[in-house]
Amino acid sequence: MTIKHFYTIIFIFIASIGLTFSQNQKGYTIEGDDVVFTFHRSDYDTLSHDEVGNRISFDDLTVENVVVSGEFNNWSKYNWKMTKINEDTYQLRKPLKKFEGEFTWEFKFVINNEYWAEPTKDASNVADAKGLFGEHLNVYNLKMYPNAYPDANGNVRFRLRGHKNANNVIVAGSFNKWDEHLFKMYKIENGWELKVQIKPGDYEYRFIVDGHWMEDPSNPDKVRNEFDEFNSHLNVGKYATFLLKGYQNANKVILSGSFNDWNETDYIMEKTDKGYWRYRLPLPAGKHHYKFIIDGNWILDPENSVKEYDGKGNVNSVYMVR
Amino acid sequence: MRNIIYIVLLFTISSFANNEEAYGVISFPEAEILSKNTTRIPFKLVDHLIVIEAELLNRKGNFIIDTGSETLILNKNHFNGRHSNADLPKQTSGVLDLIDNPLEKRLREFIINDIVIQNTFSDVIDLSHIEISKKMHLLGIIGYDILKDYEIFIDMYLNQITLSKVDAKGEKIDNSKYLEKILDSVNFKLKKHTITIEADVNGKTLNFGLDTAAEFNQLNKRIDKKALKQFFPKRRMQLIGASGKKIEVLAGKLYRVKLTDSIYFGPMQTILTNLNHTNLAFGTQLDGVLGYEFFRQQRTIINYKKEKLYFVKYPLYRQ
Repeated sequence: MTIKHFYTIIFIFIASIGLTFSQNQKGYTIEGDDVVFTFHRSDYDTLSHDEVGNRISFDDLTVENVVVSGEFNNWSKYNWKMTKINEDTYQLRKPLKKFEGEFTWEFKFVINNEYWAEPTKDASNVADAKGLFGEHLNVYNLKMYPNAYPDANGNVRFRLRGHKNANNVIVAGSFNKWDEHLFKMYKIENGWELKVQIKPGDYEYRFIVDGHWMEDPSNPDKVRNEFDEFNSHLNVGKYATFLLKGYQNANKVILSGSFNDWNETDYIMEKTDKGYWRYRLPLPAGKHHYKFIIDGNWILDPENSVKEYDGKGNVNSVYMVR
Repeated sequence: MRNIIYIVLLFTISSFANNEEAYGVISFPEAEILSKNTTRIPFKLVDHLIVIEAELLNRKGNFIIDTGSETLILNKNHFNGRHSNADLPKQTSGVLDLIDNPLEKRLREFIINDIVIQNTFSDVIDLSHIEISKKMHLLGIIGYDILKDYEIFIDMYLNQITLSKVDAKGEKIDNSKYLEKILDSVNFKLKKHTITIEADVNGKTLNFGLDTAAEFNQLNKRIDKKALKQFFPKRRMQLIGASGKKIEVLAGKLYRVKLTDSIYFGPMQTILTNLNHTNLAFGTQLDGVLGYEFFRQQRTIINYKKEKLYFVKYPLYRQ
């Protein structure tokens, strides 16, 4: 199955250290395995208070502390205190794992444990704030998306040719629950583009050009959807490293698996200094069966407890890209 | 070729069958057929729902795997009542809530690849609210009726479900062994269609239902105070049940759930709610419901006939 899908598979190229974040997502960045909340004093003009109806100008207040408050910490105005970096900037770092349970989280910054910093409407990740019973609070919250987010160094680049006169082009898909506003593409010469960092997985997506939904005309891999039109298909993979410990006297060790149609010569593993045999390759998201061939003898991966039968009664080691 | 044989076979069988509504084959295009009686089907998670791709009556779409549902449910949105038996008032239980008077459909043959299930009743219910809230194309829900004849390995590590046909005693017909280490097993009691297990929470024994389609664990407000101390509330949230009704609940984390000395759980996202309605739906009195979080933390094999759960080792392996 892999061979025939290979041409449409987009691989993750290991994210380089120090990701820069697209400027239209306000309030947080994702760096490696961490979420970094960042508050820039200069981004906010007004403040609100739970007990006072009027907005307050930020200039009337001296900042003593800044706290991140959101759905993830029950909107506590005290718990997630940020570290002061300089006069303008406060930061707080939290592991990404904490946020993976939900698709989106809403949050805001609190000044002096009392005043909400009010985001302006122009950031792409603002949402209408709602109370416990769904009533509109007439302010905005910031939203964060731990599974997929626009990123200048992202692993997937969406591109739509033409549509020069369009005003608004969005890419929406199963990676962001088909959000019709979130992933705004930017104009490039002869078309539109957006780079997004997406977790490995199998996804479907479409473009929305000024409200009109369409499939990706440059992607031949598509599936029929419930409207009798097509969704474009995307598999986001990543680099996998296979290691075999020992067998230092072997002459040749081959990696063979469902990913290369069980080819017995292609993937020659490299002997490392630390007593391992090693092979690194990009793999699409999903399940892969494999074995090692040591000087002609097939073996299971001794370090991997995950094994399965194939359809013919053979046992293989299993590698999961997720 | 094999498919053609089965289709031919199906037509032969259906012509014997009183000429009642003969339904087509449901097929799972993504499935790996390991043998005549064992099939592996990859699933995807839509939020916290286990969803498999299937094709039925030329319609391609998704089915939710739901041990909390008594029967096979077809989505009225896609399968209209043309063949339905609308005169039979009946109550059926759903993912989260009660649904009244569904139309009932009889599937003469329900086939998972080579696996034929005969005389299955199905309910035809409007599930469009799930389609809207989950933004997915949903053909139906596969419930206890179908699942009970199989040993079911729900594997959230490999994102797949393995169905192995069992005999009346619950022995796998294939008699193939699992290749991975089974850490432990616990007995459960089947109350109507619901799997109920006893678990220890802070020294108290609670009676939980096990529901693959419960996106959040649920805990009854009225349980023992000592056990309730292990629930740490975090926020309020709104939930929509299978019937489309909204309820507001308190969400938080449940700590220290233990099944045996070797099978215990890390903090699980749980909602605190009044389970009286749900108890009606499950047909038994429960202190709580364990769902997605349970299966996320334990690779679980369910055997309905033996009333037993098995737990498969979670790999520590890192390449």
